[in-house]
Amino acid sequence: MKPADLTPVSRDALRAPSGALLVVLSFIVALLFNSLPWSGWALALRPDLVLLALLFWSLHAPGRVGQALAFALGLAMDVSDSMLLGQHALGYVAATFGAQVLRVRVLAFGAVEQTLHVLGLATVATATAAMAAGLAGGGFPGWLPLLAPFTTAACWAPLSAVLLSPRLRRRRAAIP
Amino acid sequence: MGEAPAFFHRGPSPLARFAFFGLLSVAAMIADHRFGLLDTARVGISAAMLPIQTAALAPATVAEVVGDRFTDQASLLRENEELRERLLAYAAAAQEAQLLRAENERLLGLAAAPVDQPGTIARIVSTGRNPFARKVLLDKGVTHGLQPGMPVVDVDGVIGQVTGVGALGSEATLITEKGQLVPVMMVRNGLRAVVEGAGAAGRLNLPHIPASADVREGDLFVTSGIDGVYPPGLAVARVTVVDRNVDSMFARISALPASGVSNHRYVRVLTATPTPAAPEPAASARREPARPGRAPGRPTAPRKP
Repeated sequence: MKPADLTPVSRDALRAPSGALLVVLSFIVALLFNSLPWSGWALALRPDLVLLALLFWSLHAPGRVGQALAFALGLAMDVSDSMLLGQHALGYVAATFGAQVLRVRVLAFGAVEQTLHVLGLATVATATAAMAAGLAGGGFPGWLPLLAPFTTAACWAPLSAVLLSPRLRRRRAAIP
Repeated sequence: MGEAPAFFHRGPSPLARFAFFGLLSVAAMIADHRFGLLDTARVGISAAMLPIQTAALAPATVAEVVGDRFTDQASLLRENEELRERLLAYAAAAQEAQLLRAENERLLGLAAAPVDQPGTIARIVSTGRNPFARKVLLDKGVTHGLQPGMPVVDVDGVIGQVTGVGALGSEATLITEKGQLVPVMMVRNGLRAVVEGAGAAGRLNLPHIPASADVREGDLFVTSGIDGVYPPGLAVARVTVVDRNVDSMFARISALPASGVSNHRYVRVLTATPTPAAPEPAASARREPARPGRAPGRPTAPRKP
């Protein structure tokens, strides 16, 4: 017997939005973006789209995207950035955990407050990775890596707009 | 609790998951850092990432090809002129080297000289995306016969060493990376030393040389071949500053790399299998069979006119 749908009306806004295809596609694009040949200042300021996509989908599709994927993508980024294996993974897992805990609260907010939350989570991810590298003998990496969370957070609003738009379109099409 | 509707059933709590994956990450880091256990995993993941990385590099490659097409005549002529001058310089150096080598062979009875190492030309694909490590990514991997430990050189000397190998690409650590060591010997008086990467600004250090040692600015250090990784005689570093402080037993010696560590797009990986220094008979026996095979297959020999 199927359980009754106890979903309150407000949950509708939080419902997993879209097909698996969009999720996979967004991660591929994010990985491509992160793998571009960045160097120098551009590298220091590179917005981490993989992290952003992780946060977005763990907020909007918590059934599909969670800490396991965060761990796997973190390992992939560690290899492609030739860093210590597990460094990005720890940061991504920590940020995804934060997103899962804060999920309902973040989704109730508008764009500005959401951006601030993302800034916090991205800072957690970066700081965790930098600290892990430091403990592994890399020394203090300086303050420069803490610039990237700002650019990452700045990309949140455009990314949300883009990723949420197909869903809006489908909904409008479904109503009549 | 087992009667809860499926809607509420979500597996372990986020906190439990976080504990699990967090510990897994930490374990991976420890395994990678302390024990170097995850090299196979790294190779596998990098193979899986290869399509994405190739795609990400495609715009740059296209831009490069198009740029090459439209190089103007003046710059080509200039480059030609420059190359001709270099060729002359190397021709002179090669003749001198041949004389020296003949003398060396006569004196030491050595079977081969360092420049006769078999090697393969690799392109520097990217300079690595970790701003805190001096590494470059090359476009040759296991399938081209590369192995960890192989020396990477350019026409002027040693650049670094292959440290990670994937299926179709590999990672070389430059000699300027912090803690990267190369055993060397001074050309002028045979003083043996170790060159250590300083980690910053393409500088090298020569630690543990007594303050009384005969080292001057401009002295050239070449590989000594003692470690069995780098063949002897490759230029490594030129001394820039010698600081003899009274309150230290050792001189503080800084040097610059002899090779263009950060200047090149093409490098040569010496593919002679790196082995620990072996006793003389074994060493000559190992070199012998390598000789006939390398003559036709050798890509280039920039030192020979």
